[in-house]
Amino acid sequence: MSQYKIIFTGPVGAGKTTAIQSISDVEPIKTDAAASDMTKKRKSATTVAMDYGIMKLEDGEKIHLYGTPGQERFDFMWDILTVGGLGLILLLDNTRADPFQDMQFFLDSFAGFITETSVAIGVTQMDLSSKPSIDDYHKQLQKSDMKPAVFAVDAREQKDISLLVQALLFTLDPGLEDE
Amino acid sequence: MKSKDKKLIQVALYGMDERTYKTMEMFLKGPCKGIAVVVDEQNAEIDLIDADYIKARDVLDERQSQTPERPIILLSLQELSLSGTIYVKKPVQSPDLITALKQGNEILHGGKVKKRAGSAKQDAEPKVEPKLEDKTESTVEEGEADKKELYKEQQKTRKHRTARDLTEVGFSSYMGHVDGVDFSDPEQVLLASYNPKNHFLGYVKTAIKVAKEKSRILQLNSGWKSLVIFPHSNEIWLDAGDKQLRIYAGLEIKKNSKNSMSLSPIDQDAFNFGEKMENFDDIDAFIWKLAIWTSKGQYPVSIDINRPVYLKQWPNFTRLVVTPHAMRIAALLIDGPRTAMNLADALNIKPQYVFVFISAAKTLGLLGQAKRNADILTVPPEVKPSKSKGILSRILGRLRGE
Ligand SMILES: Nc1nc2c(ncn2[C@@H]2O[C@H](COP(=O)(O)OP(=O)(O)OP(=O)(O)O)[C@@H](O)[C@H]2O)c(=O)[nH]1
Ligand SMILES: [Mg+2]
Repeated sequence: MSQYKIIFTGPVGAGKTTAIQSISDVEPIKTDAAASDMTKKRKSATTVAMDYGIMKLEDGEKIHLYGTPGQERFDFMWDILTVGGLGLILLLDNTRADPFQDMQFFLDSFAGFITETSVAIGVTQMDLSSKPSIDDYHKQLQKSDMKPAVFAVDAREQKDISLLVQALLFTLDPGLEDE
Repeated sequence: MKSKDKKLIQVALYGMDERTYKTMEMFLKGPCKGIAVVVDEQNAEIDLIDADYIKARDVLDERQSQTPERPIILLSLQELSLSGTIYVKKPVQSPDLITALKQGNEILHGGKVKKRAGSAKQDAEPKVEPKLEDKTESTVEEGEADKKELYKEQQKTRKHRTARDLTEVGFSSYMGHVDGVDFSDPEQVLLASYNPKNHFLGYVKTAIKVAKEKSRILQLNSGWKSLVIFPHSNEIWLDAGDKQLRIYAGLEIKKNSKNSMSLSPIDQDAFNFGEKMENFDDIDAFIWKLAIWTSKGQYPVSIDINRPVYLKQWPNFTRLVVTPHAMRIAALLIDGPRTAMNLADALNIKPQYVFVFISAAKTLGLLGQAKRNADILTVPPEVKPSKSKGILSRILGRLRGE
């Protein structure tokens, strides 16, 4: 039987581990190790293997939440990971040097998966750096003729992550019933 | 990586705790457009000292004796003019810091010190109060640069409140209602419009436009509550709570009334917010909710109700009031143009919910109206549930259930 999963991706420190934690029903299995070399300056822990969480539905069905490790830029594992996935949540860190470049990299890397399913983008750390603005992201996306949802999110806020995932669901199927 | 870093000004930071240090690192990277990068003491070209740090004097003396040729930038809440230093007023504004860094860089490379801009000052210069117009960065960013400012920022509770996601039940009381329109009558419904220009909304929008064009902090004098617009930080301050605003929003403002509206410039430093930091709101979030309360389920007259509308981009729902069915409406309107009534039919919802969403989206400039005949002639595709509808709606239920 196929398993239902939602994939979280984005650059190092974008908030993938935190976001999965925010909406997971079970304490997620984190594979964070103390960050070494490159990432150390930015944060104390980074994900080296993969994040994993579960959302339990009323009928007992489980939705698996996978986060790609941020350190690796591209990995063959990503291809395997996305097979059968429902959609992609892309998290971007607004304090990084070039968030547009990050965005393009991940949109390209997951292009096939996004075409098959859909993507919703969350911009984190906007409390620390308000530029680029959400409008700027939309302008950037228009160049490649894309109109995904782009929300300002704080990965620590369950409500923010929940709305972002909801936007992904409605993008996949606007006909979804509310209640 | 190395060669890229080379062009950046190398600065060392002093007198900052870990959090402030990190914030400053990000501030240089983000708002200051990466003009400088933080390095360690030995490799720095310019020293950046928080002069409000208790031992700042010692740090300054030490820096001046160890590396006398190295330019020093002092950050302080108080105006400082210490010989051989460049002063930047806190809360730090990125244009000021950029100017100061450029000045330091010119001193380094033997160039003459150019005329200052903003409040970045060379010592011995005559005192010039920083002009408001010089400030171009948001106070949100500055707020992080300084604890006091951060505290202030946190007091802006209205602004930082997480988005409200309203169900139909909660919403009807939130939205208010219009007397005398029977929304179940297909004829009457098409007449249920309002003109924003006859409401507070219209005046606020004009005021925001002017403030942004002139890049000035403006007060809207309406004979009602005081409202101040901060174009640089995209903030609005209103001396009233949501309940009062909701009532006022719904009232028609008579033309030629005695309380005619006017705009006056405000000096940020002189303006007294009292204790009312919580009255700050983000401009977009503010006019979005103001549009909801003005509309009360009617559509704006500038929309031709018989022509399809579409969304230019998704609203930033995490920072806005999510009206009932707003996500579904948005998803459909991103896909392609539809008329309001078609939307209501397709989603099987009351037209008021479509109208209120259209009002809010229009106010933020996110809504377009189809002009091409093709858009009007073709019937939009039926809303069909996709294959995995079962699982998607169950996930939705789980997310909304919380
Ligand atoms: N200030 C602020 N901090 C945030 C926000 N979102 C997430 N964080 C914090 O950012 C840090 C990094 O988040 P992680 O969840 O570890 O990021 P990650 O994407 O898993 O990182 P890697 O595993 O290294 O790829 C954590 O300390 C979060 O609490 C935000 O919007 N604002
Ligand atoms: Mg992680």
